[in-house]
Amino acid sequence: MLPTIQSVHILGIATAVGSAFMIAMRVMGWLGADQTLGQTARRYGPWLTGALWLLLLTGGLLVLAEPPRALDTVSFWLKMALVALVAMVAVVFQRSMRSQEPAWGAGAVPAGVRWTAAATFLVWIAIIILGRLIAYDQIWGRVFPGLKA
Amino acid sequence: MDITPWLKSLEDSGMATTIRNSAYLFPFLEAAHVMALSLVFGTVTVVDLRLLGVASKDRSAVRVSDELLKWTWGAFALVVLTGVVMFTTNARVYAHNTAFLIKMALLAVAGLNMLTFHFTAARNMNRWDRQAAPPIGKAAAALSLCLWIGIVFAGRVIGFTTTGAEAKEAAPPPSTTNFDDFLGGGPSSAPPAQTAPPTAPPPK
Repeated sequence: MLPTIQSVHILGIATAVGSAFMIAMRVMGWLGADQTLGQTARRYGPWLTGALWLLLLTGGLLVLAEPPRALDTVSFWLKMALVALVAMVAVVFQRSMRSQEPAWGAGAVPAGVRWTAAATFLVWIAIIILGRLIAYDQIWGRVFPGLKA
Repeated sequence: MDITPWLKSLEDSGMATTIRNSAYLFPFLEAAHVMALSLVFGTVTVVDLRLLGVASKDRSAVRVSDELLKWTWGAFALVVLTGVVMFTTNARVYAHNTAFLIKMALLAVAGLNMLTFHFTAARNMNRWDRQAAPPIGKAAAALSLCLWIGIVFAGRVIGFTTTGAEAKEAAPPPSTTNFDDFLGGGPSSAPPAQTAPPTAPPPK
């Protein structure tokens, strides 16, 4: 059962990161330039949101299955902080997209937005690394040392 | 042909030994593997859904596949590199692991599937550039999605069925590695008596 939930969790990660990649690359103008930014956001945004809910569900099940494995590691809490960050960025992006679409769609995506897109993708990479490190709690240490001993 | 001596020599290589003796290298290799496979899966899915006519229907099929497959191959190269390096650290165990063999078989089928697509539906892609792929192309896309999902599952199962497993005459665990931590023997996940056979540790 645990390998199945973890596999679905990884497929969720792949879907979320794949969607975030497509949007970030379009914001930077490196991929999908035949589509406007708005079209790209509408194509991949729902997949990103859907994948985030799937990740919350499967991630929640994984924590419930082995609470100390996750809750006791520094990696887990760092990861959660970064997840909250990318979720916030996604919400803010979708909102500004709606109000700024005519301007951004015409090709003038502000440099700040481009930097944010690139930085957000790096945060996704950090989330993947931290997610895998949860299994190796000796790396960042535990939140409650001694609990396990 | 018995490849065991060759597998053993992979395990004895300086690189494999260094990774086994480090508490950090293997986890970061795994993380890089997951990161790269996310891009492979993400880009392959975008192309497959376009071929099936499920998503990006209004985009040119030629453009979608041309601009994404570069990224797929780049990410795939990183997946293979990290995968091969991880394989060398415990080659004899992986080589006899059922999940690993299934994963390699699925990868081979995915490769054949791609070749078939390349020499059939893809040859006249310009003709269906603005529509869904013809039936044989749709079949290849659907098969590709199923295969990649299977590959991810088989890959995760490898971790559950090989962690802590050692080839019979392997060296004792390096002293710098705390295997209790690797095995994830937390209060809830491990029974008080740590008498589980070494080949079946708690999953991670």
